[in-house]
Amino acid sequence: MFEARLTAGSMLKKITDAMKDLVTEANFDCSSTGISLQAMDSSHVSLVALLLRADGFDHFRCDRNLQLGINLGSMAKVLKCCNNDDIVTLKADDNADAMTFMFENQTQDRISDFELKLMDIDSEHLGIPDTDYKAMISMPAGEFQRICRDLQILGDTVTIAVGKDGVKFSVSGEMGSGNMTIRQNTSVDTKEEEQVTIEMEEPVTLNFALRYLNFFTKATPLSGTVCLQLSKDVPLVVEYAMPDLGHVRYYLAPKIEDEA
Amino acid sequence: MGIHGLSRLLHDHAPHALKEGKMENYFGRKIAIDASMSIYQFLIQVRLAGGEGQLTNEAGDVTSHISGMMYRTIRMMEAGIKPVFVFDGKAPTMKGGELAKRKERMKQAESELTRLQQEGGSAEEIEKQQKRTVRATREQSEEVKTLLKLMGVPVVDAPCEAEASCAALAKANLVFATGTEDADALTFGTPILVRHLSMAEARKMPIVEVNLAAVLEGLKLTHAQFIDLCILCGCDYVDSIKGIGPITALKLIQEHGSIEAILKKIDLTKHPLPEPFPFEDARKLFTDPDVVDPSSLDIKWTDCDVEGLRKYLIEDKQFAEDRVNKAIERLQKCKGKNTQNRLETFFGPVTVKRAERKPDPKAVKGKGKGKMPAGGSAAKKMKK
Repeated sequence: MFEARLTAGSMLKKITDAMKDLVTEANFDCSSTGISLQAMDSSHVSLVALLLRADGFDHFRCDRNLQLGINLGSMAKVLKCCNNDDIVTLKADDNADAMTFMFENQTQDRISDFELKLMDIDSEHLGIPDTDYKAMISMPAGEFQRICRDLQILGDTVTIAVGKDGVKFSVSGEMGSGNMTIRQNTSVDTKEEEQVTIEMEEPVTLNFALRYLNFFTKATPLSGTVCLQLSKDVPLVVEYAMPDLGHVRYYLAPKIEDEA
Repeated sequence: MGIHGLSRLLHDHAPHALKEGKMENYFGRKIAIDASMSIYQFLIQVRLAGGEGQLTNEAGDVTSHISGMMYRTIRMMEAGIKPVFVFDGKAPTMKGGELAKRKERMKQAESELTRLQQEGGSAEEIEKQQKRTVRATREQSEEVKTLLKLMGVPVVDAPCEAEASCAALAKANLVFATGTEDADALTFGTPILVRHLSMAEARKMPIVEVNLAAVLEGLKLTHAQFIDLCILCGCDYVDSIKGIGPITALKLIQEHGSIEAILKKIDLTKHPLPEPFPFEDARKLFTDPDVVDPSSLDIKWTDCDVEGLRKYLIEDKQFAEDRVNKAIERLQKCKGKNTQNRLETFFGPVTVKRAERKPDPKAVKGKGKGKMPAGGSAAKKMKK
């Protein structure tokens, strides 16, 4: 028996929207500690990892480890029927073939429930090694979204260069080229959410496909800040932390000049 | 060609071994392609509209294969695939019987064609027979090799059957998969077989990936038993036994384990063996084929030779200049696309955990559970 109740139902909506464009279907792994998910896009360039801790829910019960295969597009459609301030309860029996979504409004005078059919999905799992990243940037999530969106106009590959004087996002295409530089800003006058912190052990320069970064920034509504982690020749990590609940983390393989 | 009825068998008994996808999913993958089969396909598929036969240049030489190979290779490279083309060497002596049969069929088709042309058969009929007379010649292989080398695509000469060498490259981890329509590649032990790579884009055929490990698991066979199964189904080297089709063959192998054991059990008067029936030699061809030594190869993708391509295609083969220029432009653009890495490059291979399927649908039907009946090759199914 699995049952989870979340007062902030809109979070679930945002989480689904943050993943559904990257992966169409995925397995939600439910255990007594919480819900986790790992899935790759069809070309295996990027990966999304979701973690929702049990203590982040208002009520959480999972007697037996369950794997719930869900089509994220369908889940997003079901969640469209959920108002932003509704309380959401997820339910599934052991060995269930459907998951129940129950939405209650704040005054508890309207209750709706939906059943979503589950799927048998072969899960593709990658063992992600612990990496000591050489550069870590924390910045407003909206700012990062804007950079990725704006730069895509010029080209499809962004070069992220972390150096002494900040982080430079640059792109060049047939039309021309562009750069955006973000500098450290931790002054007390700036709201905490708008601060930019850059921690760097050594300069890092890597190329990434903007197409995927723009899939990642679909998670922007989840969190005020986004955290980027980079090291030479390893995938980029883009993390949106949800305080008290968990995180959505994305990995993106860099573009590397071919040796062959 | 290939193993008779194997596709059907896989559909029925190992559906999760087949995976449909888009060509784009294979970007960054190196794939060994059976070139000889592709040339043959192009000779048949790439034709002038209205059944007027193959493309030719001024001198009347057929150029269908060159055009086909160029455009399909560019398309694969645009999807980010790194193709390696493997060409057939000499045919194994055991294939003699099969080759003789093919020759016979071709002769028949040729005489049929002359008859139709003289008596004025329908255009459709003529085209059908024309297609049957198509044969890939050694010169055409050489022409395609020249083209590929100019395009900067690596070419490998197999000592014997191309599929066998493709499988050897895949086994040695030099390439990700073998690209051919021929199921033989699985018998030769390629871990992954990719089908429909060289199909026309317009036909919207999904790429089908066959995973050997999942095939063996689905059929409940070891690889040695799988080879025996392929021999019983009827391969290029040995005829099948009368009255034993793929389904019976699978049942027999699952029951008895090997051809030797089966031969002791079955009623030879009811199932007379074909004469000759050198299954042991055929088995040896599959387990220990004559292949290129993967370690001796240096597979490299280079820039295309623009001048060389223009000279070869425009001057020697009379291709239209603007079409050649456009093709070269597309080819050069591919270069930048090849830089995207896959996550597996960094995090190691993916471990695929197959979804735990509920037991036999019939057993749980009473409780209103169970999955929808298997429909085609999809690896996953909506639960009821």
